[in-house]
Amino acid sequence: MNHAIISCLHANLPAAEAVLNDIDRQGIDTITCLGDLVGYGPQPNEVVELIRKRGIATCQGCWDEDIIDGLNACECSYPSQLAERRGHLAHQWTDDQLTDENKSFLASLPTSLRRDRLLFVHGSPNSQHEYLLPDMDAFAALERVETAGADILFCGHTHQPYVRELRDGSIRVRLQNADHGNDQGEELTLPMRKIVNAGSVGEPRHGSTNATYVIHNDATDEVEIKEVAYDVGRTCQAIVEAGLPKVFAWRLSHGFEFAEQAEDASHVCER
Amino acid sequence: MIERWALVSGLRGDLETYDLIQRDLKKTRGVTALFVLGDLVGPERNCDALLDRLRNPHRGDLKPDCIYGWWEEQLLAERGFRGERKADALRLSQGEDAVSALLNTVNPSHLKWLASLQFGFIELDCALIHGSSSDVADNLTSETSPLILLDRLTRLNVNRLFTARSTKQFHLELTGGGINSQVKDLNGKREQQQEVPKRSVIGIGAGLNYTLYDIGSDKMHFLTAGSKTNPKGKGFA
Ligand SMILES: [Zn+2]
Ligand SMILES: [Zn+2]
Repeated sequence: MNHAIISCLHANLPAAEAVLNDIDRQGIDTITCLGDLVGYGPQPNEVVELIRKRGIATCQGCWDEDIIDGLNACECSYPSQLAERRGHLAHQWTDDQLTDENKSFLASLPTSLRRDRLLFVHGSPNSQHEYLLPDMDAFAALERVETAGADILFCGHTHQPYVRELRDGSIRVRLQNADHGNDQGEELTLPMRKIVNAGSVGEPRHGSTNATYVIHNDATDEVEIKEVAYDVGRTCQAIVEAGLPKVFAWRLSHGFEFAEQAEDASHVCER
Repeated sequence: MIERWALVSGLRGDLETYDLIQRDLKKTRGVTALFVLGDLVGPERNCDALLDRLRNPHRGDLKPDCIYGWWEEQLLAERGFRGERKADALRLSQGEDAVSALLNTVNPSHLKWLASLQFGFIELDCALIHGSSSDVADNLTSETSPLILLDRLTRLNVNRLFTARSTKQFHLELTGGGINSQVKDLNGKREQQQEVPKRSVIGIGAGLNYTLYDIGSDKMHFLTAGSKTNPKGKGFA
């Protein structure tokens, strides 16, 4: 059976509607959302209400968490001070706009969802703020999936969709301890695991302005990355009219975050 | 010339043990640094005398460099040094009595100094931490999955991680292996091979059990303070 995974809607209603229409057209009725319903974009209430109305299973994103808990993320969430300032502005604006009812919906979201061997999270099983980038250390990537006890890990947060297969892994070790002296050494065979990043519906950064999401077939395990065009101009105009930083509109109309990659992808916020 | 570090943990207020280790180290050649990887305090006995000695070493003592451990974390949290967090982990595992016992073993005059201790040291290409980069409570042993050990090393980007939380003494070396990774995105597919880096995790022990690390030869010596066989029996004279 095919099911769809969406992430990082970021208060972009035209993009969210376009993606849901695309999914509906294919007759797919199981949808999982990996969070970040709000932040950056101009329609936080509308997007939250759309997800609520459709009853889409959703886990909490980094923005959803920060809106509820207050901005206590360490600076690691932002690649630069400038980005941090803009992030704070957007945070404040979103906080002012969101209704109490929508805030309590965001607060009620779980940090992960599990269906059999599939695990759904926003950033990583460790944290909503951790980036699992496509080229991160392969062993560390496998550790995230394995420690969480999953075969396939679905995540978002990077806004770049990808499918990563980790296979034929092994680690050889040699042990010396106080009582037994030296050991001959052994080899651990690592299991095959997959990480699927759903990209971003409302704030794509993969080099195109199209919204992205993924479809997974749970019988064949095949994953398809989907791109959907939507009316970017409408969202950009709404961003400017809302008084949000213009760079968010610029970014949407380019499809990437200019010079704003997270520097240390392996960094885990320890707050 | 040999240069070696002494690594100690889990003293938990036991000045007698610390004194035995200092005596051992005086008889051992080449020890240039003494690292105390946390758990200076504990609930079993009054810790003030040990803390005084660590903060104001006797003449002839190897000067200790201390970091905080799990017990300090509990104490400091309960005393309001960790924001809203309290000694939840201790309360959950050992109950309210253990929390009050811990509070009673340390004079509040030591709290500021304990709160000033760091989470860990990076020395040369080694990390010295009570648990791991992930958490002060991270309990790494020789039975921990090598995948997790490798992850903890990768997070710090060091070749050796010295850890104390498990109280065990072990030296687990990653000696080989690899993994294949294939990434598919909207630009296509790419393959990647990665080798296991030659790195290791060392459990340094606790209390009387401590570790000497020879920097030049990358050798570990697992010792017990005051025991007759070392340091001479193992060739440390
Ligand atoms: Zn996002
Ligand atoms: Zn996020």
